[in-house]
Order: sequence, then C-alpha cells, then structure tokens
Amino acid sequence: MSLLAARGARLRYVDHGKEHFAVDGVSLEVQPNEFLGILGPSGSGKSSLLYLLSGLKVPSSGQIEFDGRPLSQMDDTERSRLRLKEFGFVFQQPYLLGYLSALENVRIAEMDADNSAAAVALLNQLGLGEKLHRLPHELSGGERQRVCVARALMGNPKVIFADEPTASLDHRNGVAVVSLLNQLRGEGSLVMVTHDETMLAEADRVVRLVDGKVSD
Amino acid sequence: MRTRGGEKAGRRSNPLAPITYLLRNAGKTIPLTGVIVLAVMLVAGIISMINSIPLSIRTIYSYSKEFTGVTPRGDATKTLPILEEIQAKSPYAIDRVIICRVTVTEIQSIVGKWPFYFIGMNDADTRYYLQRQRVTGIEGRLPRAGLPEAVISRPVAKNLNLKIGSEILGPTKEGGFSPNSVKVVGIAETDRWLMLSSIEYLREYHFPPIDLGMVSAKDPAEQPKLDQWADKHFKGRQAGILGYFQVEKDTNEMFATLYLILNVVIGTLVLVVTLMMSMLINIYQGQRLVEFGLLQAIGYTKKQILTRVLTETVLVVILGWVLGLFAAFGLLNLAKTVMMDPKSYALDVLDPVAYAYSIPMPLAILAVAAGTVWWRFRKFDPIGVVERRIV
Ligand SMILES: Nc1ncnc2c1ncn2[C@@H]1O[C@H](COP(=O)(O)OP(=O)(O)OP(=O)(O)O)[C@@H](O)[C@H]1O
Ligand SMILES: [Mg+2]
Repeated sequence: MSLLAARGARLRYVDHGKEHFAVDGVSLEVQPNEFLGILGPSGSGKSSLLYLLSGLKVPSSGQIEFDGRPLSQMDDTERSRLRLKEFGFVFQQPYLLGYLSALENVRIAEMDADNSAAAVALLNQLGLGEKLHRLPHELSGGERQRVCVARALMGNPKVIFADEPTASLDHRNGVAVVSLLNQLRGEGSLVMVTHDETMLAEADRVVRLVDGKVSD
Repeated sequence: MRTRGGEKAGRRSNPLAPITYLLRNAGKTIPLTGVIVLAVMLVAGIISMINSIPLSIRTIYSYSKEFTGVTPRGDATKTLPILEEIQAKSPYAIDRVIICRVTVTEIQSIVGKWPFYFIGMNDADTRYYLQRQRVTGIEGRLPRAGLPEAVISRPVAKNLNLKIGSEILGPTKEGGFSPNSVKVVGIAETDRWLMLSSIEYLREYHFPPIDLGMVSAKDPAEQPKLDQWADKHFKGRQAGILGYFQVEKDTNEMFATLYLILNVVIGTLVLVVTLMMSMLINIYQGQRLVEFGLLQAIGYTKKQILTRVLTETVLVVILGWVLGLFAAFGLLNLAKTVMMDPKSYALDVLDPVAYAYSIPMPLAILAVAAGTVWWRFRKFDPIGVVERRIV
C-alpha cells in the first residue's frame, strides 16, 4: 500500500470571478522510502499540489490519503500533528527565525525540549558543525537552506516535502542540497517539485505536471 | 563565534519559550515594557500626590480625634451648662472635661495657608492633653501660666520652621497676632499637630472672651461616637459641636469634584496608553507573520502559537506593571524626603488607592492585545504568508 496518495485531487481558485484549477484532477501515489520528483514549468501547479499533499490546503474535490486515511477526516489539530511528527518541509525560501541560532532553528521542528543532540548530529552531517550558534543573518544563503534541510529532517519524518529548495541557490549548491536531502532522509520518502530537471537526477521516479494535470 | 547561554542550559531550554523571544528582541520588549512602566508610575504617582492633599489636611487636624469640641452660640455663658449636660446625659463614659480659650493662627499646607487653633488650657489640663495626643517627650518645657509662651509639636515646628525661642505669635506677626511676642518654650514629640499656651495668657490678651470646652471619652475608641451623639443631641440649640468627623466630611466634599476630574484624566490616560500599546503590539506582530506562518506550516497549531504570543504579552505587561509600581514607590519616596517631609506634609508612599488605580491599564492592554492577536489569527493562511510573503 502507498504511504501517501492523491485521488482525483483538484484545487480551485476564484480569480476576479473567474474560477480556475491550479491542480486539476491529480492522482498519484508516493511509496515508502521513495524519492518522487514532480517536474513542471512555472505556474503549472507544483506548489499547489505540494500544499494539498501535505495537508496545508484542502482539496476542492477529490482527496488525499496518508497511511490509508483521508486527510479530510482529520481535524486541524490532527493535521498539525501530522505535519509536526510525520512530515518535513523545505520551502522555496529559506525561512528561519531571525532571533534563533542555527541549532535552535532546527530544534523547533520538534516540541521535545531534549532534542539538541539529534539537531547537532544533523547539522554536523550537513557541514554546519562549526556554525551551530550563528544567527541566520550570519549564514550564507546556502548555509541557511541547509539549516532548513536539517529542520525538515528532524524527527525522521515519513515524508519530506521540498518546494524548489534550490531556487535561491546556484546550480552547484542546489545539487548539493538535493543530494544531502536524499542521503539523510533515511527511511523517509522525499517529494520534491522543481522546474529544473537536472535537480532530479537522483529521483526514483519523475512525474510531469502541466496546467495542474499529470501528463505522460 | 557567538554563543548564547551555557551549552548545558541551551540543551534543555525550549527555543520557542516566550522568555527567549522577549530577551532576544530587547529592542521591542524594552519600549513595550517602558511605556507600561511610565504609565503605571504616572498613574500611581499622580493619585498618591493628589491624595496627599486631603491626607495632609486630615493629619493637620487629627488632634481633634481625641476630643469633642464644644462652643456656645449666641450666649457666652452657656459653655458650662452645655458641658454639664454632656456629662449628665452622654451614653459614653467621660474621662475629662477641659475648659479652654482659642485664638486662630495659620500653618502651611500643600495647597496654601490653613487656619489652625492656638489653644490655651491650665497646666494640669495641658499635661493631660499632651499625654492624650501621644506625646512621648518634650524638648524644653511647658508654658507658664499667664506668660507669652507656647509649646508646639514637632510637625508644627518643622512646618513653620520654629525652634525653642522662636516667636510664634506677636504684634507684627502676619497671620498670628498677639500683643506680646509669644515664644516657643517647648517642642512636644508626637505626630499630631499642636500649638498650646496657658488659658491665663489667652484670657488676658485675646479675643473673643468666650470659654470653650473639650470633652474626652474614657475609651478613645468611643470618641467618634461621643462626637456623633453630641452633634445630634445639641442640634438646633445654642451649642456647636466640633469633631474629627467634620474634618473628614469637609475634605470629602472639598475634593469630590477634583476626584471626578482626576478619574476622567486617568481614564483618558489609560485609553491613550492602551491605544498606543495596541498599535505597537500590532506593528510588532505584523512583523512576525512569517514566523507565525512558518510555525503553523511545520505543524504548530494556531492555539499553540496564540498561547505563546499571549504569554509573551502577559509577561511584558506584568513586568512593566511591577517595575512601574517600584518606580512609583521610588519616586514617591523621593518626593516625600525632598518635598514633603521638610514641611511635615503627609504623603502615603504605599497608598492602596493609588496602586489600585494602576490595575485597569495593564488589564486593558492585555485585553486589546489578546483581541488583536485573535483577530489576526481568525483567518490566517500560513501558506499565503510563507510562500507569497503577504505581510
Ligand atoms: N491564491 C491564489 N489565487 C489565485 N490563483 C492562484 C493562487 N495561488 C496560485 N494561483 C494560481 O495557480 C496556478 C498554480 O500556482 P502554483 O503556485 O501552484 O504554481 P507553481 O507551479 O508552484 O509555480 P512556480 O514554479 O512559479 O512556483 C498559477 O496559475 C497561479 O497563478
Ligand atoms: Mg511554486
């Protein structure tokens, strides 16, 4: 059985009275421990699809299932719990809390107050062992994105979502970040969307998205 | 490399603890706290200072707590019959009846000059009177019968800047005439305000030629009841009853309008400060929308984020309020030593009313802060914030 599945998922936006579907009937499955790449041009609905899969947005029709359970049957608190415990996120922009150190920014991925050792280990593996106590503004863009990767990996999530995590990086750093995500995800699945095919070299499977639909 | 706190402490502490945010964003925490500190200090300070006026007046005339004063009206021969009637009919045991003469002089109050009674009694009555006014000792001696001499208490000495040998009444003395130069011969140690001479001197040299009476209850706790009883008993007759209750009533009436104005002013101040604070809080929270969105996106519930922000606000408000109270206390103590004490003006640095007045503001700020946060979170879309940077 698949870990995460979209079944005829649609996401509708109403724009100046005109409705259109950013995600238009997508069905796909994510297997345990799989690296699934989703490739599509700008505006094709990649981010929207990722929000649906991760429960950050609710589909207008169709549904999303995690471990066989439709997300629509969960309440807000349960979905929050799912995002905190089972999912990890790397956003397009490396959002960090400016007043927390790199280490602390990683630690907030869990509510457990005693997770320092795990966070230090991850940051070490990401090559930031010397910069644990730096504030975000004292890190380079690539370093910040690696802190975000560490935050997404905290607590060994079952699924890691990455929304163009390489967008703000140069090509070499981008490839490095994807590679690190892939190496460190352990048993977790990785769902990554991008418009840049070269970032998906290590993907087990690539799905193409055009105008909110999966095309083959 | 920058490190924050010991490695050990950092390990267990929660990075999202409200106190962490407050400490590391001192640039925001300090102005917020500062506004509350200043406002609380202002409110508590103003109320204490204003309250010190009626308090001073009550303190100045507090000697009247010990006696029921009796004056005849329209017939100077009535003093003795009135005093006899009180002795015969009073439901409260009477300790002593004193015959005295009075002339009016002045003392300085925080709001200008106030009339004050210069009382003459015989030597035995003077001793009883002083003991009843809680005098613990005398510098100098008591006035001798018929001589231009006076004994005053310590607050009066401070207030008028008098020493042993100073003139208190005199032929050219403004506000305190006497044909002779009346000198201070003794200063009594008590917190009561007193000016005493011999009845013989006042009878000889002062108008009006009317004996007055003072009646003390056996149990000092019954004195107010005796006042009230006598006041009722002689209502409409040729007798005037003077008691501390009239001082209280007069000060209450005198300051009723002032307090009304004060309430409006404080109310407006609370409103203005609350508005200002809510604007500041709103701006600061607006700057944190990305933070809130990010936390929500990675799995914190609205309730958790809301609780955290509100806890921060509660901490700031409580800290500001407590510091404000301490600041007010410090400022009032300063005012007391520098301004009030040298003139014996009363000021209660721990005035409960003043501190109570400082409570509505922190509560209003909390309520408005809670309201604004709740309003923001009502329709909060973490994605809109995180991905599209709608701030
Ligand atoms: N809040 C919104 N209201 C209206 N239309 C929206 C909204 N959000 C997204 N869209 C539209 O939905 C479509 C898909 O948007 P989405 O952000 O998913 O694209 P994307 O594939 O992630 O693009 P990019 O590669 O540029 O990030 C676009 O046409 C976009 O204009
Ligand atoms: Mg996108």
